[in-house]
Amino acid sequence: MTIEKIHADVLIIGMGGAGQLAALNAFDADPSLKILIVCKALKGKGGCTRMVQGGFNAVLNDDDSHEMHLMDTLKGGQYINDQDLAKTLVEQATPTIKEMETLYGCFFDRNPNGTIHQKAFAGQSFDRTVHKGDLTGIEIISRTTEQIMKRRIPVLEEHRALDLLTDAQGRQVVGALLLNMRNGAFVQVQARATLVATGGGPTQYRFHAPGPEKSVDGLGMLYRSGVRMRDMEMVQFHPTGMIIPGSVVAGALLEEGLRGCGAYMLNGNGERFMANYDPARMERTTRDVMSRSSYLEMQAGRACAEGGVHIVAAHLGPEFVEKNFPGMAARCRQFKYDLARGKVPVSPTAHYVMGGAQIDKDCHTTLERLFVAGEDAGGVHGANRLGGNGVCDSCVFGRQAGKSIARFLTAERGAVPHPDAARVAELCARYERPLERSSGERVFVLRDQIRETNWNKVGVTRREQDLSEAIAEFEAIAEACETVSVEGHAAYNMPWQTYIDLLNMIDVSRMVATSAQERKEQRGAHFRIDYPEQNDEQYLFNVTLTRGADGRPAIVRQPVAFVHKSLAECQQYSKRPPKVNK
Amino acid sequence: MATSAHQRRVIQVFRYDPTRGGDGHYDRFEMDVAHPNSTTMLDILIRIQREQDPSVAFRYACRVNMCGSCGMVINGREGLACKTNVCDLPPDRDITLRPLNHFPVVKDLVVDMTPFFKKYEDAMPFFSPRTIEPEPAVIPPDARERQDIGLATECIQCGCCVSSCSMVNYHDGYAGPAALNRAFTLLADSREGRNAERLRAVLQSCYNCRTEFNCTEVCPKELSPTRAIKYIQRLALKHLGELSRPAGMTNATEEPAPPVAVVPFEPVLQHAGCVAGACSVAAAGGLPDDPSRRQFFRRVIMGIGAASALGVGGLLATAAVGPTLTKTPGRWIPISPMDDLAPAQVSTVTMRYEVTSGFHKETVVKPVMICRRADVNNMVVFNTTCTHLGCTVRWDAGKNIYVCACHGGQFDHEGRVIAGPPPRPLDTYRFKVENGCLMVEVV
Ligand SMILES: Cc1cc2nc3c(=O)[nH]c(=O)nc-3n(C[C@H](O)[C@H](O)[C@H](O)COP(=O)(O)OP(=O)(O)OC[C@H]3O[C@@H](n4cnc5c(N)ncnc54)[C@H](O)[C@@H]3O)c2cc1C
Ligand code: SF4
Ligand code: SF4
Ligand code: FES
Ligand code: FES
Repeated sequence: MTIEKIHADVLIIGMGGAGQLAALNAFDADPSLKILIVCKALKGKGGCTRMVQGGFNAVLNDDDSHEMHLMDTLKGGQYINDQDLAKTLVEQATPTIKEMETLYGCFFDRNPNGTIHQKAFAGQSFDRTVHKGDLTGIEIISRTTEQIMKRRIPVLEEHRALDLLTDAQGRQVVGALLLNMRNGAFVQVQARATLVATGGGPTQYRFHAPGPEKSVDGLGMLYRSGVRMRDMEMVQFHPTGMIIPGSVVAGALLEEGLRGCGAYMLNGNGERFMANYDPARMERTTRDVMSRSSYLEMQAGRACAEGGVHIVAAHLGPEFVEKNFPGMAARCRQFKYDLARGKVPVSPTAHYVMGGAQIDKDCHTTLERLFVAGEDAGGVHGANRLGGNGVCDSCVFGRQAGKSIARFLTAERGAVPHPDAARVAELCARYERPLERSSGERVFVLRDQIRETNWNKVGVTRREQDLSEAIAEFEAIAEACETVSVEGHAAYNMPWQTYIDLLNMIDVSRMVATSAQERKEQRGAHFRIDYPEQNDEQYLFNVTLTRGADGRPAIVRQPVAFVHKSLAECQQYSKRPPKVNK
Repeated sequence: MATSAHQRRVIQVFRYDPTRGGDGHYDRFEMDVAHPNSTTMLDILIRIQREQDPSVAFRYACRVNMCGSCGMVINGREGLACKTNVCDLPPDRDITLRPLNHFPVVKDLVVDMTPFFKKYEDAMPFFSPRTIEPEPAVIPPDARERQDIGLATECIQCGCCVSSCSMVNYHDGYAGPAALNRAFTLLADSREGRNAERLRAVLQSCYNCRTEFNCTEVCPKELSPTRAIKYIQRLALKHLGELSRPAGMTNATEEPAPPVAVVPFEPVLQHAGCVAGACSVAAAGGLPDDPSRRQFFRRVIMGIGAASALGVGGLLATAAVGPTLTKTPGRWIPISPMDDLAPAQVSTVTMRYEVTSGFHKETVVKPVMICRRADVNNMVVFNTTCTHLGCTVRWDAGKNIYVCACHGGQFDHEGRVIAGPPPRPLDTYRFKVENGCLMVEVV
């Protein structure tokens, strides 16, 4: 088989905030670099950066400080963040958001005096979230996509990366194998530096907030390449994903600001159940506590008829709701729910992966020539991410990666080893196999199964027995995948793409469940029913892993390095009463 | 809450298999929809794929109206599959789904958006700061420029507007509504440094726009490219002199000055008006705030619908109504002596005229169909361009219908769609009779 081969200096996989800022910064550092962006969707259309509603945390006000933003981030992460990364995040957020305006032309919402408006977001000691109405992501991604056009950086759209390619020893990443989704042809890219920025996106759960185009591809690829991963047990659930019977829109978010403004939650019996979980903060509690409480109500048989709990905002006044949450009201209206006057059924929904590849502040990984930025990287957020720190992470570390790659390529002039041709052929054959089988397992059924298993056993709450059962179920699904059959030609074959999605979901599910077994405590987004307390005596470590010889995760605990802030400082800060907004 | 009567629906899906080629066809699917209120076209397609035919291809990413990947033509009108629910479509009719117009089809409902992005890029959609500032510009939210720009930067590049625009097909160089909308947001932005160049790049396109308002009507984000285009036209008139003129540009300015010339570059609300046929003119000058602007446009559009429904018929009587602010300069082209046009018949006549659009001249040679009723004063002049993909429509006297050979489009003698994919009736021309000669207005 002959496959198309492309040579590039820099291969960027993913075109969200991280991928785009990396490309722009690498280009601006050295316009002679041959940069190639590949993305699974159309140019700039895929990914979660575009879906950001809330906004971008950055210190811009003299009364705010990087110190405070850092402490908020560490508190949110329950101390297991990589402090170097967290510090870089908060310090670089300021220039990054300014460049968004001054170099790329974003225009965020303003104060009446013409300076940038910053709004309140949960878990922050200062109102520091920069936003554009409730569609911040569209502004960011549209403007940066145009900057990519301006620099004429080539983009291969509807090309998905399948796997990273390494040298024979598996020490260096030398490019990636791609699939042109439109015609079904494989493409090999050989690159002097590769950035993975596919943006996590936990769509392996029944309810999920990211668009279904995402399927944790980057995390799966990274794992298979042998790179070291960390904190994979940390999956964030957003408390208010809409329940919409029979629709793929299920899981889409109703934003947190609603609860911030006083919306409350009712179980199936019409009770404000938060009184039993967090009477002091009620529905204004943190994302993790809110999600967990709703989930426990649902588990206890107190779900509403639609299978979740209700969010009620009507008492705030229909005009208030329509005026302050126009996007949310419209989203509900499309499905004939009335946010302003009635109640809307919601469920916790898988939102964000805190874990990912272990990186340093210049986005280097444990493999040579491989860089990772954005949601595919782990460590920045520790055990939980603050609202507004996600897109901030992607943009800040995308920018870091771009600059770092340009520096790396200036210093490193050696030739890139060729990808192993036999390995490439083997991969292509393996991916194509389902197209060759005339009968076998149906891929959509298997994908439903993995979503249900993850939801029920590796989801909002976890326990030992469920986790081991889940791992067995993942192995069974993996085995069934070996007999999947997909009809038709390879060109724009959606079931075939779903099959490839599923392979990544399986690898990521393995990592999440195995890491969750390792952490026998509650911390941040991770909740063990069988170990419901946070345990700072024993668990101030990060669960890291690489892919073992048997294909299963091989775990290594790494103690948290309190390099900038001591544990005592963090604990002290956490005891401060939360800032109550409005 | 999201319960509504269960429905059995028939869905006709356009199919095109790239490995086989050909013209494509429609496949018919039937399904029970338990929740018409909460089932989107995207859900329907996902179900077809899972339950009936895994080979159906369509595109989506975000599924919440944010990425613009799922634009298609739904029952003849552009829209997002993830934003159109079953209950929004008449229950007694089949649901028809076909790919966007004016783009090459990759497979079934999936189109190649390259032409869209090419035009978008040509309009210089990228910010190029005047000077690189260390701090974000201080611009109050009620500054005129931000009021003008409003929410126009929220375009999600879905291509619906381009698909709906019949001018895109006439002129290769026409940037189209989405690109012009983006150009407008930069032209109005005081931070931007390359506006003279940008204005030159898009100006010609702005004179191609026929102000049909289709784009504004279909935009799922409720933006108004038409308004953006009018803004650029007025800006150009204000600044043309200041811009250094490239060769050939003189022509453009020597044209009889369009009425827009006298309109000051001020946000003033214009009246909605209407001209004959499907094409309409409406408010272009006013740039009131949101969300009143959105409501305003919705209202204008509804008004237009009503106006054009009434407008069919007594065309002769329909002189331009209201201020002609938004009209590109029209010209009257002689077509044929009235005596040559038999009553109670459809005659096809070739018209020929020169256009100077922007910086260059071209000769247009094009047939028009004149439908003369028995009552001699009652007639309609049809544009022969099929409203689907722009093939030439001809009169089939035997069947008494207009037919398009390309994809089987058929229109009745009034120009109304009776079969095939055309999204709307045949376009008509304004005409008048002078000294016994039929004259048609072209823009
Ligand atoms: C609904 C929603 C709302 C959110 N709101 C906020 C918020 O208000 N504030 C905040 O801070 N964070 C928010 N987040 C989180 C934030 O959006 C993400 O953390 C961040 O945008 C991720 O950026 P990224 O660049 O890493 O990835 P993404 O933006 O997700 O981009 C990933 C890119 O990779 C491509 N890709 C995927 N797989 C492949 C493959 N196999 N091959 C090639 N390309 C591939 C995709 O097409 C896409 O271009 C939200 C997330 C969601 C889902
Ligand atoms: S107003 Fe009409 S002609 Fe002009 S861009 Fe819109 S659809 Fe096209
Ligand atoms: S202007 Fe509207 S219809 Fe056109 S591409 Fe943008 S969002 Fe889509
Ligand atoms: S799938 Fe994104 S707009 Fe419809
Ligand atoms: S061009 Fe398609 S039916 Fe006329």
